[in-house]
Amino acid sequence: MTRVLGERWAVPTLDAHTRAFFTSGVLALQRCRRCAYIQHPPEDVCASCQGFDFDHFASAGIGRVESVAVVTQAVHPLLAEQVPYAIALVAVADAPGVLIAGNVVGREPDAVRIGDRVRVVFEDATDPHSGEALTIPQWVVTDA
Amino acid sequence: MHGRSAVAGIGESTYYRRGESPHTEFQLACVAIRRAVEDAGLTLADVDGFVSYRDERNTPVRLARALGLKELRWAATPWGMGGNGMAAAVQIADAAVTAGSARHIVVFRALAQGEFGRYGQAGGSKGLHGGPMTGSLAWNGTYGILTPAHQCALQTARFMHDHAISQEALCEVALACYANAQRNPRALRYGHPLTREAYHASRWIVKPFHLYDCCPENDGAAAAVVTTVERARDLPHRPAVVLAAASGIGPPFGVFDRASLGSAHYRQVGKHLWEHAGCRPTDVQVAQFYENFTGQVLMALCEMGFAEPDGVEEFVSGGRLVGPDAAFPFNTSGGNLGEAYIHGFEMVNESVRQIRGDSTCQVKDVQRALVVAGPGYAPGSAVLFGAPT
Repeated sequence: MTRVLGERWAVPTLDAHTRAFFTSGVLALQRCRRCAYIQHPPEDVCASCQGFDFDHFASAGIGRVESVAVVTQAVHPLLAEQVPYAIALVAVADAPGVLIAGNVVGREPDAVRIGDRVRVVFEDATDPHSGEALTIPQWVVTDA
Repeated sequence: MHGRSAVAGIGESTYYRRGESPHTEFQLACVAIRRAVEDAGLTLADVDGFVSYRDERNTPVRLARALGLKELRWAATPWGMGGNGMAAAVQIADAAVTAGSARHIVVFRALAQGEFGRYGQAGGSKGLHGGPMTGSLAWNGTYGILTPAHQCALQTARFMHDHAISQEALCEVALACYANAQRNPRALRYGHPLTREAYHASRWIVKPFHLYDCCPENDGAAAAVVTTVERARDLPHRPAVVLAAASGIGPPFGVFDRASLGSAHYRQVGKHLWEHAGCRPTDVQVAQFYENFTGQVLMALCEMGFAEPDGVEEFVSGGRLVGPDAAFPFNTSGGNLGEAYIHGFEMVNESVRQIRGDSTCQVKDVQRALVVAGPGYAPGSAVLFGAPT
């Protein structure tokens, strides 16, 4: 899908923490290889066992809106045409301990509610430095 | 109860709207410090320590030279904090003077956003000007979650949802700060009262925050001299004794953590403050709560033990926060919203005035005055001042 906040909006810098989440085409959450603890955003150290060794858990991306607010005043010129937009924190069913920030689409921003069911979708973007393809997780309201 | 250090002097520069200070930030800092030292009945040569917070730009050695200190023995800030470090700065000064590390420490905050740019604006984020989008800019900025208002709106929205709190509760906090500012000639909103109608008619910044739910950004400086209680007793003013101070968080430790969503991260601060002070919220006669955003004040009121979440709307409604005879005397100088946004340090000075008995909104028989620093961020902090025994 096209970008929620416009094709010119800034993209995340790819590094050891962000690469899997923003490029793998699935909802990739950091998982400790030793104790299987899932944490987001990723960290250098596992907050459960203090391990350093991680892989990623591919969440099915079925979740619930835990909080939502509607940005009405643009704080950057590139967002002037984008307001109002909904910002949200989402919890997914298969990794219930974490909250994932994102935008919610598929409904008017003012109509998005805490408790709404959502599923992950991916917006396509390109890293301006490496040309690498990005798949940025976003959320669409589902009826169920 | 602790009670071994005290504030002996307070001072501030004139407060200005953002960008309107005719003086540099360093000049504002020096004015506030000089006035606090004079108010304490001391000379600048008596000062031997500085504490600030929020990555204060006016550094201790530069100040020591400009102000002509005899020596500098102590300089510190709480670790990397924002407005949440305001009371922790007093706590550090308390620790230092009671340990004998320095004798007269000036705690202060200065900001001139015309000179240095704004704190609350995304334009300060390098990644949005072609620099790296790493850390929270990657996780949040990618989605247009860019300012403290955006983060705090997400916390407030969940709190309002969980406890059936209406927009009127947020409005009441703003109305109280503006009403109290009408008594305070130092206040930037002095002569500019706010009505309920004007609140609701103001533009949305990020729902659920109207314009008046968000603190302004101002230029100015405020300072307080902390010394031992014994020393303070020899000085002209009634000492405002540091009865207790606390800072900390959690667990959970995240700003956006599922287990603490809808929280200002102040439960730990409240627990330790009251334990340390050996008293309860009902023993406080007047309180200043840092308003970065009105919703965060509601959460902090609950977490510091003054109200239950399901009853906080009633707690703040019906004028219960307004004036010196309020059911809960609150932000009596006008606070960040009404007096000036000096990252909350104006609230330390107001608490000292309440203990002395010379506030423009003076509460009767103040024995204890509470200051709660910036909510919604961590580690948070709070300090309880008391009258000398």
